[in-house]
Amino acid sequence: MGIISAVGNSVEANRSSLMQGKSGVAKAEFLSTKYSSSLLFGEVKISTQDLKEKLKAHEKGVTRTSLLALHALGEAINDSKLTASELNSFDTALIGADTVGGMCLTDELYHDANTNEQGSEYLSSYDCGSVNMYLQSRYTINGIINTINTACSSSANSIMYGARLIHHGLARRAIVGGCDSLAKFTINGFNSLHILSDELCRPFDENRKGLNLGEGAAFLVLEREEDVANKHVYAELTGYCNSNDAFHPSSLSENGDGPYLAMKGALQIADLSAEKIDFVNAHGTGTENNDEVESKAMVRLFGKPPLFASSKASTGHTLGAAGAIEAVFSILSLANGEVYPGINFSNRIPTVGLTPVVNYSKKKLRHVMSNSFGFGGNCSSLIFSKA
Amino acid sequence: MEREALKAQLKKQIVEFLNLMQVKPEDIKDDEPLFGEGLGLDSIDSIELIVLLNREYGIDIKDPKEGRKVLIDVNTMVDYIEAHRTK
Amino acid sequence: MFYFHDISCISPQKTFSAIDIKNINPPQGDKLLVVEPSYEGIPLSILRRMGKAVRIGVGAALKIAKQNPDGIIIGTANGGMEDCIKFLNQIIEYNEGMLTPTNFVQSTTNAVAAQIGLMNANKGYNCTHVHRGLAFENAMLDVDMLLKENPSYNYLLGGVDEISAYNYNIELLGDWYKKEKITGTDLYEQHSIGTIAGEGAAMFLANNIEAGATAKLQALTMFHSDNEKLIAAELEKFVAENFNEEEKLDLFFSGENGDSRLQKYYDACENIISNETAIAHFKHVTGEYASVSSVAVWLACYILQEQTLPKHFFKYPSEKKDFRKILIYNNYKGAQHSFILVSKA
Repeated sequence: MGIISAVGNSVEANRSSLMQGKSGVAKAEFLSTKYSSSLLFGEVKISTQDLKEKLKAHEKGVTRTSLLALHALGEAINDSKLTASELNSFDTALIGADTVGGMCLTDELYHDANTNEQGSEYLSSYDCGSVNMYLQSRYTINGIINTINTACSSSANSIMYGARLIHHGLARRAIVGGCDSLAKFTINGFNSLHILSDELCRPFDENRKGLNLGEGAAFLVLEREEDVANKHVYAELTGYCNSNDAFHPSSLSENGDGPYLAMKGALQIADLSAEKIDFVNAHGTGTENNDEVESKAMVRLFGKPPLFASSKASTGHTLGAAGAIEAVFSILSLANGEVYPGINFSNRIPTVGLTPVVNYSKKKLRHVMSNSFGFGGNCSSLIFSKA
Repeated sequence: MEREALKAQLKKQIVEFLNLMQVKPEDIKDDEPLFGEGLGLDSIDSIELIVLLNREYGIDIKDPKEGRKVLIDVNTMVDYIEAHRTK
Repeated sequence: MFYFHDISCISPQKTFSAIDIKNINPPQGDKLLVVEPSYEGIPLSILRRMGKAVRIGVGAALKIAKQNPDGIIIGTANGGMEDCIKFLNQIIEYNEGMLTPTNFVQSTTNAVAAQIGLMNANKGYNCTHVHRGLAFENAMLDVDMLLKENPSYNYLLGGVDEISAYNYNIELLGDWYKKEKITGTDLYEQHSIGTIAGEGAAMFLANNIEAGATAKLQALTMFHSDNEKLIAAELEKFVAENFNEEEKLDLFFSGENGDSRLQKYYDACENIISNETAIAHFKHVTGEYASVSSVAVWLACYILQEQTLPKHFFKYPSEKKDFRKILIYNNYKGAQHSFILVSKA
């Protein structure tokens, strides 16, 4: 696994922050936006220039989004101990996800889209596919390459796609994950919908008033059971499902059909009954709509929901990276037998009355569910089990 | 600006801003509900109308929920504009 | 792989209703713009918000979506990007002030799949693949896996991209379009760099049912490379794997686009194709864009259904009339390649 987020630049650093209930959400330091002081962001604590230096990524047209992905991918590949020939093999797939692509470069994009002067170096870096095109060429990955964009559930879907490729014999191993960087585009977009909070977000809290945007990247290396004999295995991906809420372009239905069906479907694939889930890493963005609907859907499915928490007050909502980042967090929970607190929670939502985990504790876990529910109602649920 | 002229201007702006297809400004009744029945606008339209009030009339409504109290029909919108416009 | 049943296409040609691919529309300047239908099935309250990619995607998908497929899988590289640039322009113009959300909500690449799902209250699997020149290929692969996982299901599969101010200008600055005026098949005769811009949407109902199918997706492969020798080797492998000794390839459907820089890939493939195989090309009717292979697949299905291919498509004169197997080769900017084998059901 590999990860970079507002709370750490490595798997170990992220785990340490989660154990301590740290938040990386603060005023923006590197991003230039009108809102850098008035809103809070889960910004990765390295400048784009420093990322380029560290990663020796001085090719033309490399965006911050690609750099974050490269960083996390590098850690994951080192951790996986894949040989060079395995990495370059025709049966190694790379499945990524992002929603921003090169749109973090607002001024360059504005210029290239609207003028007929000399184009910038980013002409082929704006689309979502640009990130994985770059990673593919950097690492010469020769299997199936794909990029998925389904808003906030994107990298949960890329993990699912990679797993299914292996299941169907279309790949022997799949490097899966996602990334996104902070961008004026998304900040202003979410702000125009009035769902950003000017305070640290409060997932599942009665007084929540919106989300904080974040950035980051995470990648996981998935392999077949028969190939992992002597390797260190973190966890097993045992369940996955995607469903559509089909209610509204930017909010979930009251009954939460999308979330409910996604979670139920994941249980079916995992061949588990609901009470076998020991912990849920919730989507929990801190918006009025999501947290209430997600809570209702959990009650609908579980009756009495298991321990759950959202990590978004630690990292911010990392959009295209969220599914993968939170998969890493779920796996860390499982592998280390511990539960991380959801921070900044005080009072339950009156209509549903659920309380997330608020303290760190050691706990043996066998099955952890991770949920990601996105714009357009795209809902995905993953289940990880102890290896 | 005289009230009737303001109503006519506002109706034209609503149609253009929300890209209402096959709706002529003069067909919108002054007391026709904007949301639900009547014109049938939705929550994204309510945010758009708040932006319209800001750009055309310099009115700042920070909370969309407050905005819904103003955005009942053309009459209530015109009342609010006359009381609060800064442009 | 699987079967195509209903097929639907909105393109720069008459492919939607009263289909006529014999008499073709020429480019307007260096763009082949879609012929848009009247969108009767889309409520005006929804239509008013839609950018072109969402309109043509939803418009092409409408009839198929009404059959309540079990999932919606779309491939698009830049879907909704016109709205993206409109929102971006607002950001600049109003200096990040108060902005209207519609452009933002419509600008996400999954807007097409989401809108189709929304209009039909479709709660099934919903995914948008955005990997540039292989976006539609990945969508097909996804559907192939879904139909193995759920053999009795039906899926709405599609590809869509628009020429938007955003990507048109960017591509132009990147020297991807021709400076010469193109009227039709002269696209292939210029020996210069660049091609013409295109746009379109193609939608399919896909399932495992052979009876009554329009065509069959028999095989698919995709890869990243800039080495024409590798491409040729892959083609040989693809043909060896998918044709037994008696079977013949009737048509090599080439995605060549008149860009001299990319000709070597198509030449390398043509050099190993049997003399008995007819060769045709399609980008003078579709233009070039990331998900154009979806319209190529639609064309292949149509040819197999109608058993006819108008003269202007053929690269070399051919009397070919009996079509059973069509192999589409496409590449996007010489970096992403796919072979798609479509056969008579």
